[in-house]
Amino acid sequence: MPGELNAAEKWEPKIIAFCCNWCAYAGADLAGLNRKKYPANLLVVRVPCSGRVNPQFVLRAFQKGADAVLVAG
Amino acid sequence: MVAAAQHPNITIASYAEVERVEGFIGNFKVIIRKKARSVDENKCTGCGICWEACPSRNITSEFDEGMGKRKAIYLPFKQAVPAVPVIDREHCRYFQSGKCGICRKKCPSGAIDFKQEDEIIEKEFGAIVIATGYELFDWASVYGEYGYGQIPDVITSMQFERMNNASGPTEGEILRPSDGKRPRNIAIITCVGSRDDAKGRSYCSRVCCMYTAKHAHQILEKIPDAQVFVFYMDIRAPGKNYEEFYRRSVEEGAVYIRGRVSRIYRRGELMVVKGEDTLLGRQVEVEADLVILATAIVPSTGFQKISELTGITADKDGFFQEAHPKLRPVETNTAGVFLAGACQGPKDIPDTVAQAGSAAAKVTALFSKGEIETDPMIAEVNKANCSGCGLCLQVCPYDAITLKATKERVAGVERERNVAEVNAGLCRGCGACTTACPSGTINLKGFTNEQILSEVDAGCLGN
Amino acid sequence: MKRIGVFVCHCGTNIASKVDVRSLVESARELQDVAYAADYQFMCSEPGQKLLVNSIREHDLNRVVIASCTPRLHEETFRKAVKAAGLNPYLLEIANIREQCAWVHDDREEATRKASELVSMAVAKARNSSALDSTRIPITKSLLVIGAGIAGIQTALDVADNGYDVMLLDREPTIGGNMVKLDKTFPTLDCSA
Repeated sequence: MPGELNAAEKWEPKIIAFCCNWCAYAGADLAGLNRKKYPANLLVVRVPCSGRVNPQFVLRAFQKGADAVLVAG
Repeated sequence: MVAAAQHPNITIASYAEVERVEGFIGNFKVIIRKKARSVDENKCTGCGICWEACPSRNITSEFDEGMGKRKAIYLPFKQAVPAVPVIDREHCRYFQSGKCGICRKKCPSGAIDFKQEDEIIEKEFGAIVIATGYELFDWASVYGEYGYGQIPDVITSMQFERMNNASGPTEGEILRPSDGKRPRNIAIITCVGSRDDAKGRSYCSRVCCMYTAKHAHQILEKIPDAQVFVFYMDIRAPGKNYEEFYRRSVEEGAVYIRGRVSRIYRRGELMVVKGEDTLLGRQVEVEADLVILATAIVPSTGFQKISELTGITADKDGFFQEAHPKLRPVETNTAGVFLAGACQGPKDIPDTVAQAGSAAAKVTALFSKGEIETDPMIAEVNKANCSGCGLCLQVCPYDAITLKATKERVAGVERERNVAEVNAGLCRGCGACTTACPSGTINLKGFTNEQILSEVDAGCLGN
Repeated sequence: MKRIGVFVCHCGTNIASKVDVRSLVESARELQDVAYAADYQFMCSEPGQKLLVNSIREHDLNRVVIASCTPRLHEETFRKAVKAAGLNPYLLEIANIREQCAWVHDDREEATRKASELVSMAVAKARNSSALDSTRIPITKSLLVIGAGIAGIQTALDVADNGYDVMLLDREPTIGGNMVKLDKTFPTLDCSA
């Protein structure tokens, strides 16, 4: 039991973020430029516009094990 | 001005407005409305007999900022380019009552044409430079403490410019509008509408400190026994020789008082300007016989229309947004549309000229290439699979997709059907169409469905 | 056959201090279709680009992944280098391991793991990329200037002096804008007309 609890505490969600190249992706770059820290379990997929994000992409991310999907644009 | 008029490569379209802009960089189609002047530009010699003869006088001159008068047929000012007058139909007796027509009778070249109508012209351009400039903040509607524009001797700096101009309504003499007397005590108030979140705009208009220093200098030059009081918030003189210029007007005797003016009211023929001297920490009261307000620079009316026509954005104040504040100051987010001057933000003449030169360099660079290379990361239609449903047309923000008839042979029979077609010049590669397409027939090159899905897969697999 | 080359940039210490560059190269070698992987101090520098060009030729690479700063900074630079090596410039993918990894994560182990995920995503994308060609569109060499104040007039004159046609348009009956209303102009007090 203590082991399981430990695993639950350690659990971190995997987040896939679809970021528009012109705003949110640039914003993520800006966060880097300003050395703002955030957890490493977020992966950015660069898209040319949030309008490019087909719902199919979101479903695919969940299907392949993502815990959360962020669409930013 | 004359240089532009005489340049063999420049065509002037005055009294004209842009109605519609179609197309894309290198290939804009622009519909222009040339408003009816009621005067034939080709026949008119600019002799002036018509406006001399016109009986409708006493019309407030827009050019002179309401300080002077004009006729119903008029040139805005003597050196106007083109030197062709225009009939102000709202004030013209002929247009209002059908009687008069003196200008037509007197015109030696038969140029007056009461039946002239607006002319619509359509022309192709490779690039557009927007240089719509600025207007002045409408101070009278909000600054009750300065008299709501009801005190005749409270004028704007632009009105002062007209009055001080040798070709202006007073031929360069500084006179009180109310009684035509020469003022002796003059108060100038800066930041009227600028740096005022409550009643005006939050930004600094950038030029007022400097032209106020100029006005102080000009007043002291023309009226040697005058007293000039300048109420200011801060002096901003960050340009080559600017600080020296400001210092000069102080040394010439202009009295600078750091503080805001809280009220202006009449006392007999004079006005009392009440304010605060924040450096001395006390109230000040100045009796002035002329007050000049340095009003804020605001974008020209109609900026929304320009923004809609060309697809460029305006900021919260209505100034057009450049593509990058430091690295792409004259480009916009619409390729082929550039900015010059105060329409992008308040700026003085040296900066305006520099920016105009920069815009010209960008345009010249574009034209000298002769052709443009389009970004290949654009939408692509698989014609065999396209059903021609047209959903992509509806979502495309750039009107880059059209339905085009295509012929195909099915079971030996030739038939025609519509399929989507992408215009490579208009498509900006946003990919909205790919999401709308029910059959996945449109794909975005460089960001294909397969590419993004494989990226998602790879990102998730590391889980 | 796809032969992908992966190039990891140290960016001096910007990336290398937070990401274990060597192990990143090792993990990249394991990815499908990766034929070559290397690291270098500054990929964007002249020698860095030379390394890229030579490696593409030497190892017969037909896809390139560069793990470096944001593509918003050096995508064009690297596309040119890829093109110089004889490859289509659109067969390049960039893994952003500086702005979106090394600069935002403190833990070296986590940053390295994320960097390898970003590289594997970029490799996956590169495996599906294809050569793209831009089309050329002829342009109409004439300019429309909307607004004929000093900004518009100056632009029109400069472009016209270069030999191109310009239409200078203004809604008022005369050109000149606000500038012609002015008397003299600061700081030289010369006339404005």
